Amino acid sequence: MPVWKNLSVIRKVVQLLAFLFLVYGSVFVGFYSADKISGAFPALACAYDAKTADYCVLIPLQHQLGHGVGRAIGAGTFALSMLLPVLTTLATFLLLFVLLNKAFCGWLCPLGFFQEVLGMIGQKLRLNRTESLDEKVVDRIRPAKWLMLGLLVILFPLASGIGFVGHELGDPFCKICPSRILTSLAAGQLNQLYIDTSSTGYMILSIIADTLFGLILVLSLTMRQPFCRICPMLAMHAIFKKIGLVRLVKNYTPRCDKCGLCAKACPMDIREIHTSKEKDILMPDCTLCGRCVEFCPDKGVMAMKYAVIPIKVSDPQYFKERNRAQKQWEGKQKPSRRVKKD
Amino acid sequence: MKARLLMGATLVVALFSFTAEASMHWVPAPAVKGHGHAGHGGGHGGGNSRHAGETYLLHGGEGAETQLMSPHLAVKALQPEQGRVSVKAMGTGNYHALVAKRSAGELHESAIRYIYMNGKPSGVSPSLLIGHEKSALEIEPAPLAREHWRYYSGTDAVFVIRYRGEPLAGASMSMTTGNGSSAEFTADATGRVTVPLPQDFTYEKPGRAANPPAEFLLTARHGDDGQRFITTFSYDYHINPQHWQSTELGLAMVGGGMLLGGFMTLRKRRRKEKK
Repeated sequence: MPVWKNLSVIRKVVQLLAFLFLVYGSVFVGFYSADKISGAFPALACAYDAKTADYCVLIPLQHQLGHGVGRAIGAGTFALSMLLPVLTTLATFLLLFVLLNKAFCGWLCPLGFFQEVLGMIGQKLRLNRTESLDEKVVDRIRPAKWLMLGLLVILFPLASGIGFVGHELGDPFCKICPSRILTSLAAGQLNQLYIDTSSTGYMILSIIADTLFGLILVLSLTMRQPFCRICPMLAMHAIFKKIGLVRLVKNYTPRCDKCGLCAKACPMDIREIHTSKEKDILMPDCTLCGRCVEFCPDKGVMAMKYAVIPIKVSDPQYFKERNRAQKQWEGKQKPSRRVKKD
Repeated sequence: MKARLLMGATLVVALFSFTAEASMHWVPAPAVKGHGHAGHGGGHGGGNSRHAGETYLLHGGEGAETQLMSPHLAVKALQPEQGRVSVKAMGTGNYHALVAKRSAGELHESAIRYIYMNGKPSGVSPSLLIGHEKSALEIEPAPLAREHWRYYSGTDAVFVIRYRGEPLAGASMSMTTGNGSSAEFTADATGRVTVPLPQDFTYEKPGRAANPPAEFLLTARHGDDGQRFITTFSYDYHINPQHWQSTELGLAMVGGGMLLGGFMTLRKRRRKEKK
């Protein structure tokens, strides 16, 4: 299959370019915040990377909720106008988000790309990979992203501003975010990889951050996108997914019941794309990577659309070629050790 | 409140220790009852309230014209009272420039300081403001430490000395700090000067909150056609967090996380094989 026809290859190229731009973008757009695209980017582009081209939306949200709204509530001077910066940040986020919807995760996020590259390395090293997680495990993991968004991005910063909890929890998600460590390291900075001994709170948060980064380094080799499953950005995207222009559409046929290749192809283990009979199948966990469309063997059953314009529609010929290309890429998997059954 | 007063007092001592003989320059005013206090650079305005003004002192600036320049290069004249100016955002957020200029005979002096102000997104880059010619001789930060990045002791900061908008090769520049250090520099062929910020803090307690920043002052001088030019750039710098942040321990913890990941992977595989 020619690489220019392969959606996964095209996506990898886009991800690589996005990674280079978001991590080293100051080379193109200068060092200062207004040079950046938005200051509220819908993917984990990190403000702690001194060379970044934009900031992830989660950092201004935490700061505005903590330093602005929380502090005003604590001082008893809260007025609705205090919400303006938060609303401005959300509006900026939405202006971008509406253009690409959840594809910011699957096509542009530096941390998502990094995990996928590690996954490819794991494949090439013939490591025994878990292509799909158990349904029960997936169901247990799914609420984590909402907890991360609710606690680390909204509640703790607010509580810190009010004075209920320490200053350490003013921007707790950033304190533990693996993208902060990844992008700053990629930009040649070691200053975000540390254990902070200045207080118990800072120490705990820095231990969590470094441990989480180490975990992701190893888990990504044998498992698909471990951090994406608990990322608060995924939850934030899920809230607004209805207004995004990129959509995932399914034209259910009875053949779908017996197939399920789309769910197997999904790196986020969204089994509902297989079982759902709805037309709109953009699920909260979806990153719009398009693999379900690629691996659907029936003509026109699955489609990725930009508003009403089809970008990619499932096709049996494409499926055959794509499947062959995938098998060529993966090569022979190392057989796992079998335990003899009595 | 006590902490704020202590920080203010420390700042005053630090500031006045190098202002006696220095050229005209800007410093944040220490907190005074009834006045706003100046925030520090880097980090969303240094924690000042969104609606509060900031107060700065212009040392040695008798008779100077003072102005605030917005990210859009809009200029607002400031009226100093006993060397103090109260600064409020001009409707937009992001970096603004405090500019003071004075000419007497053949001597032309200027003092520039960049301050972060909260407000509506400006929509333009601070590069525009920083690159804009605000005085004949100027020290341009390249880049200015901003947002989640500060000037730290023990690290290098880069500046470009410009004269009439063009880089000034071989220009001389001096640095003094509130902690008592001083150094002399010469610009290279492209007007660039790399300044190693001195490790001159007395470290007692861990944490950024326990270690107030100090000021550093850069002064450049240049003579041309019988005219003398002096310009200053002032900003704050912080104690290097390496005193309480250990990269070695961080790396060890990443290693621990990797081991944990390896253990989880093996356990998962064994469970799968048992099924």
